[in-house]
Amino acid sequence: MSNLLEVHAIHTFIGQYHILQGVDVQAPQGSITALLGRNGAGKTTTLKSILGLTPPRQGSVVFDGRELNGMRSFDIAALGIGFVPEHRAIFRDLSVEENLKIAERKKGDYLRKQDFLFSLFPDLKRLLRLPGTSLSGGQQQMLAIARAFIPDNRLLLIDEPSEGLAPVIIESMMAALRQISAQSTMILVEQNFLVASQLAEHYVIIEEGRSVKSGKMSDLKQDKAAIQRYLGAA
Amino acid sequence: MALFFRKNVLLVITLSVFAGLLLAAAQGMERKDFLITLLRGLSVGSLTFLVASGFSLIFGLLDVLNLAHGTLFMIGAYLGWTVYVRPDTFVDLLTPLALTAAGFTAPALWNFIAAQLPPAARENRLLPWGLLLLAALLAFWVLPRYPIAAWDTENFSQAPGSYALMLDQGAPLPFPQVAFEKISSFLALSGLLSIGVLGALGLAFFQPPAQPVRPGWKDLVPIVFLLMLGLGVFAANDWLTAVLSGLNSNWLFLLSVLIATLSGFGLGALMESTLIRPLYSRPIYQLMLTLGMSAIGIELVRAVWGRPEFTMPKPALFSGSGAGCPAASFDAWWQNNCSIALVFEGRVRVYNEILIPLVGVFVLLAVWLLLQRTRLGMVIRAGVQDREMVEALGINVRRVFTLVFGLGVGLAALGGALAAPSMGLSNAMGESLLLNALIALAIGGLTSYPGAALGSALVGLIQQFMIKYGQIGIPIPFTDILFKPSAPIVPASTVLLMVIILLLLPNGLLGKKD
Repeated sequence: MSNLLEVHAIHTFIGQYHILQGVDVQAPQGSITALLGRNGAGKTTTLKSILGLTPPRQGSVVFDGRELNGMRSFDIAALGIGFVPEHRAIFRDLSVEENLKIAERKKGDYLRKQDFLFSLFPDLKRLLRLPGTSLSGGQQQMLAIARAFIPDNRLLLIDEPSEGLAPVIIESMMAALRQISAQSTMILVEQNFLVASQLAEHYVIIEEGRSVKSGKMSDLKQDKAAIQRYLGAA
Repeated sequence: MALFFRKNVLLVITLSVFAGLLLAAAQGMERKDFLITLLRGLSVGSLTFLVASGFSLIFGLLDVLNLAHGTLFMIGAYLGWTVYVRPDTFVDLLTPLALTAAGFTAPALWNFIAAQLPPAARENRLLPWGLLLLAALLAFWVLPRYPIAAWDTENFSQAPGSYALMLDQGAPLPFPQVAFEKISSFLALSGLLSIGVLGALGLAFFQPPAQPVRPGWKDLVPIVFLLMLGLGVFAANDWLTAVLSGLNSNWLFLLSVLIATLSGFGLGALMESTLIRPLYSRPIYQLMLTLGMSAIGIELVRAVWGRPEFTMPKPALFSGSGAGCPAASFDAWWQNNCSIALVFEGRVRVYNEILIPLVGVFVLLAVWLLLQRTRLGMVIRAGVQDREMVEALGINVRRVFTLVFGLGVGLAALGGALAAPSMGLSNAMGESLLLNALIALAIGGLTSYPGAALGSALVGLIQQFMIKYGQIGIPIPFTDILFKPSAPIVPASTVLLMVIILLLLPNGLLGKKD
């Protein structure tokens, strides 16, 4: 199995702060990789560095055999990388339907994916005309995921999908993510270890801006000591 | 609906107070006075809106406070005037502009060529500067020698004011004839083309891409178009001048407004891509840059068109005064093209008080449709809120920035060209309007498009009603006092309105709460 994305020893600064001090991530084709770690460890910055939103100063990011370092974010995204940011970033002044349409990279992307999306998120269908802000937190999260799925993205970067959601909604979101992952590779940042361990096949633990441990999720689940040490969860 | 009302109590109350004031004004003065004042207010509001809407689009999406917007409004007026009064100068300018610009419109081609060079040449730091210097020298040599028939600010009989005056009196001055004397035409044309090519090559050599991408035919469309335009106009120069100066003044006016708008668009796009772009991370520098640009723009206009104010004759459709005028009905106006129409017995200047508000409403709707119904509009609305996310969707935001800056400046230039026949041209015409527009935006909400329209209308109305009340006076209830607002109260009243509204609604009437 080859890696769709390889992040090698990146260093990223935000202002004068040295946020990432050597992060390695491998995302094997067709699987879900979870970035784990405590708050402020640099998980979100890792996602943003991949997309070039906070460009790394050192190290390399290779997507599908192509070096991304030095490319502009919109060119990187256009290679087929979708992004679901932490606070969902639903466009307030756009209707739900426009929020989906704006993600089109080729004309007709929206129409093509419509049926599949509505089977995943039946709620969205009746909300299409409403403004993006009138949605509940769960609906906004569904919309943000659906938006990242509209173009033919080969890699999805998803930041904290379960944050602030009720358990029932988390269940249905996880089901949707599983279905989507059949079509594209995913990198998931997740605080909720239960969610992460059920979804992901691989993991990378980031601590204080460094990737300290990675491997198969099934191995990590057995390793109670590591979970306790790095994630503080039982 | 009820929810909307509850969320916006203050807005609804404020708007009802305005409606009440207008109603009171309608009761307190003669109907024709009220109507004329209303139309004048809308006319001022409409010009303000053309400046304010562009300003707010640019600020909303790019976070750039473009303090040069008033100057660009003025430049639009002077450009429109030039096409209208001196079409020969416009035609003469087309060739050098198109040919010089041609080279710069094919960056893909030059990047491809730059990438073919041996590494030694690519890493040579002096090469790009050398090319740019060469282009500049060539420009200094060719451009002053290129014959362009223009006015002469030093010579009264050929000054811009004289041309405008004679055109207004129906006896246009003959255009001066110029010919290729200081430079042969072949040398001039190839020189112009080389300026663009050398300059653009120089720019490409600064950062030659590692992997050359072969330019497709789409990358070459602009350069081929400009080449054909430049050479075509050169070949047909005399014919084109004759056609334009023989044109009915209505069509010529329409053309001049279109050209001014398009030049404004081009000027804005050029400004954004060359001057503003490097400064996105430094807002203070940006502010200083646009302020400086505004001063430079005014001095440039003084250098080219001279200092004194001059007029721009109204097109024939709005300047008739013969039998049947002032017109009492639309038919009568259409037959006689009166400059003045009678509306409820009030004498209304058709151009100032009917055409300008109509154009304002038209632009309001057109830009509204652009924002609501097109993909570009969708991207703009999304980008105003969250630029990073738009970028993360793979949308080339830079191109949208350039387009929006161009659009904003184009609207200002349209306003200038439209205002010229009613206000006359002066170097300072933009500043008061920019101030009006800023007040209108503070009232309406800085980045709200409907807010820009509402604020502009309010500013225009308040000003005009204050002027009117300065003449007839406001009777203060329960007393015999007749309060006549003096002239300084007119500009002060809009600022006062702004202060009151900002105290009640800190984001303006329709501004978003963040």
